[in-house]
Amino acid sequence: MENKLLSIKNLKVNVEENEILKGLNLEISKGEVHIIMGPNGSGKSTLAYTLMGHPKYEIVDGTIEFDGELINDLKADERAKRGIFLSFQYPEEIPGVTVEDFLRTAKASTTGKIQGIMAFKKLLKEKMELLEMKEEYASRYLNLGFSGGEKKKNEILQMSILEPKLAILDETDSGLDVDAIRIVAEGVKRIKDESKSILVITHYNKLLDFLEPDYIHILLNGKIVKTGGMELAKEIDEEGYENIKLRFAKV
Amino acid sequence: MGRKKTYIEDIDRGIYDIRNEFTYKYKADKGLTPEIIKDISREKNEPKWMTDFRLKSLEIYNSMPIPTWGPDLSDLNMDEIVTYIRPDTEMKHSWDDVPEEIKKTFQLLGLPQAERESLAGVGAQYDSEVVYHNIRKELVDQGVVYMDMETALIEYEDIVREYFMTLVPPTAHKFAALHGAVWSGGSFVYVPEGVDVDIPLQSYFRLNAPGAGQFEHTLIIVEKGSRLHFIEGCSAPKYKVNNLHAGCVELFVKENATLRYSTIENWSKNMYNLNTKRAVVDKNGTIEWISGSFGSKVSMLYPMSILRGEGARSEFTGITFASKGQHLDTGTKVVHAAPYTTSTVNSKSISKDGGYAFYRGLLKVAPNAYGCKSTVSCESLMLDNESKSDTLPIIELNNDDIDIGHEAKIGRISDEAIFYLMSRGISEEEAKAMIVRGFVEPITKELPLEYAVELNNLINIELEGTIG
Amino acid sequence: MITWKRIKLENFTFPKIYDYKKEFIRLDGEVPVGLRLDKIYDTIDRTKINWLNSNEIYGLGKEFLSFVNEFYNSGISLYLNSNIKLNNPIVVEFNMDKENPTVIDKNIIIAEPNSEATILFHYCTDEEVEAFHNGFTEIHAKENSSLTIIKIQRMNDLSQNFDTNIAYVKGEGKVNWITVELGSQISGSNYTTFLDEVASESKLSSIYLGDGNRKMDLSYSMIHKGPRSISNIESRGALMDNSRKVFRGNLDFRRGSRLAKGSEEEYVLLLDPSVKSDSIPALLCEEDDVQGEHAASAGQINESQLFYLMSRGLREREAKKLIIEGAFRPVIDRIPIKELKEIIDLEVERRLINE
Repeated sequence: MENKLLSIKNLKVNVEENEILKGLNLEISKGEVHIIMGPNGSGKSTLAYTLMGHPKYEIVDGTIEFDGELINDLKADERAKRGIFLSFQYPEEIPGVTVEDFLRTAKASTTGKIQGIMAFKKLLKEKMELLEMKEEYASRYLNLGFSGGEKKKNEILQMSILEPKLAILDETDSGLDVDAIRIVAEGVKRIKDESKSILVITHYNKLLDFLEPDYIHILLNGKIVKTGGMELAKEIDEEGYENIKLRFAKV
Repeated sequence: MGRKKTYIEDIDRGIYDIRNEFTYKYKADKGLTPEIIKDISREKNEPKWMTDFRLKSLEIYNSMPIPTWGPDLSDLNMDEIVTYIRPDTEMKHSWDDVPEEIKKTFQLLGLPQAERESLAGVGAQYDSEVVYHNIRKELVDQGVVYMDMETALIEYEDIVREYFMTLVPPTAHKFAALHGAVWSGGSFVYVPEGVDVDIPLQSYFRLNAPGAGQFEHTLIIVEKGSRLHFIEGCSAPKYKVNNLHAGCVELFVKENATLRYSTIENWSKNMYNLNTKRAVVDKNGTIEWISGSFGSKVSMLYPMSILRGEGARSEFTGITFASKGQHLDTGTKVVHAAPYTTSTVNSKSISKDGGYAFYRGLLKVAPNAYGCKSTVSCESLMLDNESKSDTLPIIELNNDDIDIGHEAKIGRISDEAIFYLMSRGISEEEAKAMIVRGFVEPITKELPLEYAVELNNLINIELEGTIG
Repeated sequence: MITWKRIKLENFTFPKIYDYKKEFIRLDGEVPVGLRLDKIYDTIDRTKINWLNSNEIYGLGKEFLSFVNEFYNSGISLYLNSNIKLNNPIVVEFNMDKENPTVIDKNIIIAEPNSEATILFHYCTDEEVEAFHNGFTEIHAKENSSLTIIKIQRMNDLSQNFDTNIAYVKGEGKVNWITVELGSQISGSNYTTFLDEVASESKLSSIYLGDGNRKMDLSYSMIHKGPRSISNIESRGALMDNSRKVFRGNLDFRRGSRLAKGSEEEYVLLLDPSVKSDSIPALLCEEDDVQGEHAASAGQINESQLFYLMSRGLREREAKKLIIEGAFRPVIDRIPIKELKEIIDLEVERRLINE
């Protein structure tokens, strides 16, 4: 089982006293692509924030192991250093802090190595070209005045610079036009090709066609109720969440 | 007065707090009398009109009340403040000749390196007198004058007499009157018509003696079509008695001229910084203020731009950082006195550890000043809930053909922003510091590199051990 | 003698006071169950303004408030029982005339928990008379109650108007203020709301019109004491002729008001070169975990809007009138009485078109 990267057992999470995740189990091995689908309010974003260690999300029961280590009580920066990355659904705007300075600091922090200014500039430029981002974005303030699509691209840029072991993509496909989806998906695919693990959290299945996932999970009311392959996504597409909800309500 | 003085321990400000053995040549008695004023004037060999001006100012000073609308000034005992201290050295034009002790202080503050690397001229004032002055030869050849006020009073008496304290008259307020009576040191800059001084001039003021007042006078005249960037840095070590700084800055920006005036005031936390700065701008001229207020126990500082020529412009960028035991009452005043004048104000403040940052602003549009535009933006960051932060802008509009926008915001560092940065592997402490640095970035980016570095250092010193 | 520097109210002294003999409570039909509504001088409990002797100064200041306290000649005492929700607004109307030129009203309104009501005060003059109004309204909105207080002032240009309003809002209680200032020679009005407890809320919408030589001192304060309290001030005005006004908006976050939110916006249209407009939007803060913001803007009517309307054949005055009415509309539409809305529309129109 040394191939195992993430192991979540019986995870129960409260947000402001309300139980959102109600005993969730999930295992992700190295190099796998998992998709979690579910309707609004099923706990998708809660799972993403909990994995990243947001202080508002309180683990009341269960364990999260990453690379063989229990990470329940680690702060966000410690988790990032161990190789977890979250692409935010709504990235924060930080005035006065340029994309380049921020990423250089983050890279130095996660690798423990000082990043030479010129070498880092070069790395950043390469990664930005791959994402078809204009060079001037490096000197713009982090997410400030970025359009929805630019913000998402910027998340993927951060991911490709920080090279995590596990990338969690929270609704990264929402609000993107066709071209942007293609660019983002290609960025994600490059990570996949480096046999990194990916957990995609999504309402729709726009990214699916590009990613060839290994597993698809359906999240309903704080629990994973069904796991399968691509056929599951089709099922949801055809039936809609309401019918699936009804089906599982009976069970 | 009888009130017990409170003395507040503050964090180590490193090099800024190094104080030297106190030696001096002449020291006026404590307190203020016409005899002391005459002594100062005699000691400086001033012309009679200046002696008279000082005595007249003293009369005005004695007749005016201490202002009560702002910070508490009741701990400031004027009889305890020594007004004139002359360091034990004559003015030098070569750095090597400056006495070792004083040189050491300025070296620690990074002055000589800065001069070598990026400045066109440097002046250094130690207590009441300027101890060092130098200016690049090519500027002298173009007619640029940069010297200490005392020398200017002798060599350019006519110009000094024409402008001196006409913009900030002794009647402006009590501390302007005090300044008029006891002013000493400071810089005089004259840029003749059509000269573009493309590298900055810099003055540095250091107040070393305990219980002393520093009353330097800065007079800058930028003639038609000329351009200048002037930088002033101020600091003082910490003593257990209150010090007073009541300087005065008068800037005359002529037609089509541009003056950028940058200051980082980093006084020790026993300093009353009651400084008056004004600029008057003629047709199509521009004044740009970059103003950083750190340190001091109490500051009252509201640089004022009077836009008196059609199409004149002013830009104010300011940052105030109030920490433990500090009440920093700062802001800016803009008077639109002519048509088609424009102004922008961008002010930021940070308060922490019980510090009190107060933004006080005035924007006034005269009845004849039609076609004016102004935008004002004030942002305050509170780092904890022991501190205070108030914003009080006053807007006075006297005609209808104007376009005015004002906005202000107050709040803390957002938890979500901290989490976002932390999720990329940055520690909580660094994330907060990064957000604070980002907050003041609009100011740091306007400063020459070595000042930007100094400002960031100051912020790091201020934040150390208090964030996280 | 009282002097207000900003609007050049100099050496003001109070005029002679006459009785107000007219009926001022307008009630159609029965008094609803759960409501006690009396004339203030008929109530046994002649509530004194208790903080008048303290050092704290609120409203238009001690002179005006002591005066109300001593000489009030009208006003209501309104008490709303718990859980009572009134569907129809309570209307209090003072129509000053030669026989009744003075209104010194003192109003006490208490809304018990979970109650709901709208109370409308209308101050007007239908005759050429030098009327004088100096009033004080104190409001207590208890837990989870909701009060809408509407004040409409359309006294003639010979009159003087002074009005102080103070509300204390308890947990999850809400006070909505709507103020419409259209008349009088001098008008000083002050609205202060104490958001005392958790999630107390207040919203103030104000519109004003300055014409002729009107002088207005408008002051709105939201004082956040309770955690998660919410406030919003929105003021829109237009100044023409020789009118002058000062707007004072204060958002005050006291220590303990964690997670409170306050916002304030002032927008004034300047229509003539001789107007004078001062604004002092203050933001005071002793608590870090709050969000406060204010914005103030001033300028002329948008030229392209004006051009668009004129290209459809409207005269400039008419076009301007339409634009100003458009700015006022959202507030006027919140007045629940149709005929009164029409009266306000006419008044705005009369003052704007008056050439």
